[in-house]
Amino acid sequence: MIGAIKRAWANFRGFDLTGSTVPPMDGPLRPNAKLDGFPVLLKLDDVDNLTAAGGRILCSVGADLLTLSEDGSAQGLSVASTETLGGTITAIAASGDLVAVAIEGEGIRLEGQGPARLLEAGRRNRACVTALAFADSGTLFVAVGSDRHPAREWKRDLMTKTAAGSVWRVDLDTGAAVEIASGLAFPAGIAVSGGRVFVSEAWRHRVVAMGADGSGRRTVLDRLPAYPGRIVPAAGGGFWLAMFAPRNPLVEFVLKEDAYRERMIGTIEPDYWIAPSLVTGRSFLEPIQGGARKKLNMLKPWSPTWSTGLVVRCGDDMAMLRSYQSRADGEVHGVTSICETGGRLLAGAKGSGRIVAIDEPAETT
Amino acid sequence: MASSDTFAYLRSRYFPDHLVGEILSKRWIDNAIPFSALVLTVVVLGAVIPDFLSISSLSDLARQFAEFGLVVLALTVVMISGGIDLSVASVFSLAVLFSLIGINVYELPVPVVLVGIVVMGMGCGAINGILVGYLRLRAFLTTLVSLIIFRSIYEIVFVRMSTSIMSGFSMSDMWLFIGEGTIFGVPTSLVITLAIALAWHLILSRMRPGWRLTAVGGARRSAFNAGIDVRFMVFLTYVVSSAMCALAGFLFAARLGSTGSDTGVGLEVQALTAAVLGGTAIGGGRGSVAKAIIGSLLVLMLTNGLINLGISGPITSTILGGILLFAVFVDMRWQKHRHRILAKVYVSPAYLALPPAPKVDAPGSPYVLNDRLRSVEIIGLGEIEGPEDVILDRDDNLYCGTRHGDIVRFFGPDHKRSEVFAHIGGHPLGMAFDRAGNLLVCIGGMGLFQVAPDKTVTKLTDETNRSWTSVVDDSRLRLADDVDVAPDGRIYFSEATIRYEQEDWATDALESRPSGRIICYDPRTGKTNTEIPKLVFANGVAMCADGQSFMFAESWTCSISRYYFDGPKKGQTEKVLSNLPGYPDNINRASDGNYWLALLGMRGPALDLALRMPGFRKRMARRVAPDQWLYPNINTGCVVKFNEKGEILDNLWDLGGLNHPMITSMREHKGWLYLGGVSNNRIGRYRLPDADPNWCAQDAYWGPRP
Repeated sequence: MIGAIKRAWANFRGFDLTGSTVPPMDGPLRPNAKLDGFPVLLKLDDVDNLTAAGGRILCSVGADLLTLSEDGSAQGLSVASTETLGGTITAIAASGDLVAVAIEGEGIRLEGQGPARLLEAGRRNRACVTALAFADSGTLFVAVGSDRHPAREWKRDLMTKTAAGSVWRVDLDTGAAVEIASGLAFPAGIAVSGGRVFVSEAWRHRVVAMGADGSGRRTVLDRLPAYPGRIVPAAGGGFWLAMFAPRNPLVEFVLKEDAYRERMIGTIEPDYWIAPSLVTGRSFLEPIQGGARKKLNMLKPWSPTWSTGLVVRCGDDMAMLRSYQSRADGEVHGVTSICETGGRLLAGAKGSGRIVAIDEPAETT
Repeated sequence: MASSDTFAYLRSRYFPDHLVGEILSKRWIDNAIPFSALVLTVVVLGAVIPDFLSISSLSDLARQFAEFGLVVLALTVVMISGGIDLSVASVFSLAVLFSLIGINVYELPVPVVLVGIVVMGMGCGAINGILVGYLRLRAFLTTLVSLIIFRSIYEIVFVRMSTSIMSGFSMSDMWLFIGEGTIFGVPTSLVITLAIALAWHLILSRMRPGWRLTAVGGARRSAFNAGIDVRFMVFLTYVVSSAMCALAGFLFAARLGSTGSDTGVGLEVQALTAAVLGGTAIGGGRGSVAKAIIGSLLVLMLTNGLINLGISGPITSTILGGILLFAVFVDMRWQKHRHRILAKVYVSPAYLALPPAPKVDAPGSPYVLNDRLRSVEIIGLGEIEGPEDVILDRDDNLYCGTRHGDIVRFFGPDHKRSEVFAHIGGHPLGMAFDRAGNLLVCIGGMGLFQVAPDKTVTKLTDETNRSWTSVVDDSRLRLADDVDVAPDGRIYFSEATIRYEQEDWATDALESRPSGRIICYDPRTGKTNTEIPKLVFANGVAMCADGQSFMFAESWTCSISRYYFDGPKKGQTEKVLSNLPGYPDNINRASDGNYWLALLGMRGPALDLALRMPGFRKRMARRVAPDQWLYPNINTGCVVKFNEKGEILDNLWDLGGLNHPMITSMREHKGWLYLGGVSNNRIGRYRLPDADPNWCAQDAYWGPRP
């Protein structure tokens, strides 16, 4: 009763009780177009899971596992070899020569320790392993985005307001998997550092940290204006965090509009939903917002948009330090993976289908 | 139809949601709160006090109102101009005193006394006016001082003359008539006051002096910059105000025939309460006669009611003071939040169910996606902004409007050089040539204009007939959009919506309410009248070759219709095309007898679904910032060709909108197609491979050059 009165009063006065107000892009997230300024190393549609494995650079396109090598020209990358696996590759992690590849419908394939073998991990939903991280050569942490949807249907997971994600610890020697956290809203990235496991919980716009057994869980970064995805430990300490899509006030509004949301999910193709996306502007059937109408033949960089590119440098405690962005009018949207290799940071923009090298004379922080 | 859809349809069909915003946007809505307070007071006091609404009590009230209302009106006039006059009460009592002295003691004729009293009032006002208006003293302090001085004069004279006033007596019929007579049952004094109030209403709302007065009160500096003699206006308000107070005093004297030491004491606070309670702003710039009348009735009824209930004078004053405080509070909150409330409730979406959009990429579809418009030649890049429509004359000159309010002419045949052909001031939209070669142009927010070949600009019409049921003033042309001319010279033009101004045209899509229309202007009679009402964003208009009908587009319903204004089918409307994949804009003739149609943007399933859910859009308009609202996708446009049977013959696209994000108009001329867009910064020119290279629309309409 009191809750109802509170809600009615908040509704009347315009308060936000549900955390659905999108925070401004400010502080370390002050808008910039740096991602668009960096050199494009390779154009590859649907590139995902960029990973440094020993000296190699791995990435995936659908069910293909690609090995990239540096061009003769020293700057660009090219595809050295392609291996087609049994299903869409949803996550890759590497530790030395050890490589774990999550394959939709099959499980997690482990290479580099004798013959390749499949792990039984993430029993609940093999189709939605969103991120992998090695703690050491004997322990693998697995993030399962959702029990209900495969990883490629992340939009549906968000728009149905699902919170059925979990994190597992797998002992590689025995194959035993232990669930250390559950009920998460789409854990999309995982990293292990200093004995703690950092998990980005995309639909709750936050990053949580917990012990290796799941104890002592607390929020280390929250109220993000975008959906956090993969986390990679940085060579110089701290982390790189890729945020794959921006939050949008209209999406937040639609999330509260149950009738519209149900009909939208039921009758419209996900590409044309009012929902975040990895890339926008591919079809005129996509919805647009008032501020995104072109004026004088120009899409303004500050237009509301369903997709952007956003890579954030974070400190040891996950506090954000600075960011590299591609705004509404940019060309590096939907960055889902990042990897550090050979002194360079590569960002894989799955939405725009390109790999860029972030090589800012770094540490101006 | 799902049951929720049925409900939404019925509700939007029969429940006038849009009226809330329209009423709130009216100026008179300010009076709503005081007026309801007045009604409440009448009801409550009428119930509590016996005989409160009896004839005798009402007649008494009417006479009191005649005097008090005049004082409140006087104060209101000063307050509108941004000042305040506390000396109203002293002038009033001085007038009472000197009227009685003139009539009772010196037995002067009544008209002489009346003129003398008014002149005395004007003199008192002139003192205030010179001090406040010309010497720029603070109005509050100055009139406080004159309040004291005039009051002192009253006290001094009253002590000396009171006995002779008491003993004197006037036998004048006129005096009696003013004091106690009636005209057709209405007290004389009330008639006088109502006449003055009516005059002030006309002055304040319909005449220049009144508008200047309001301007001075609203923004003194701007009024000065606009050339208004601010000091004189301020001076004048005090003179007029005191003259009206003096007249009120004269009426009071005629009614009671006596005066006392407390006559007019505290009247200024009562009058101020009444003015503020009615809704006149203390800061100036806002106020009306209606507000003054409501306020004074409210105060009079409350005072009388409280006295009737046996509440003592000081307590009544306290209650009045409390009410004044409350009124100031409510007024402040209302002013602060009115626009915010209006912005939130004005958008009132209607139910619109469009059939599923045709799949343009499906095999067998008459629409074929292509990028033929991406490589068009570009004219005037960066020189023009917002060429909604383009048109060419026989000499290949190209005309377009810009958002700066110009019509720009690019000289043929290469269109490299340009000039400002005419400056009109509003954003020119649709254009057409009439038989004499005059350029007819619809201008958003202004109406229908004509530019002669010698560049003289004439306004043809800016209003049409007012319909009885519309709350917004639909006689005004808010968004005249596209125009075409019938062979007999009658001009048909569309008005997209009566609810939004030019800049907010896309917001009308959120409503998808039938608030547009087609209007006819007949140059033979000079008359304008609405030909087809209740269209959903009426847009393009193009005459058919038969000379008896025209095609018109309704953007948000994605349909084209044909209307017969003459001939055997006169008055009939036929659907030509429905369920287009985008939102149709201007329609123009093609050289092969068919029609070109611009689609200003494309439909998307998310908005199509939202159109069936008005509640969703309404909540969106309230809770989400306008820049974040769901809009029609106007970043991709295309041009299609159709025939009178409603078949799609050709398509030209610029997918992704690199060159022409939105196309609102196109004209074929000598084998080229020229493209305009309302938010583009260029005009495109596309070579039509199979078109007649000599075809000119002006010749096709009006025959070869005379």
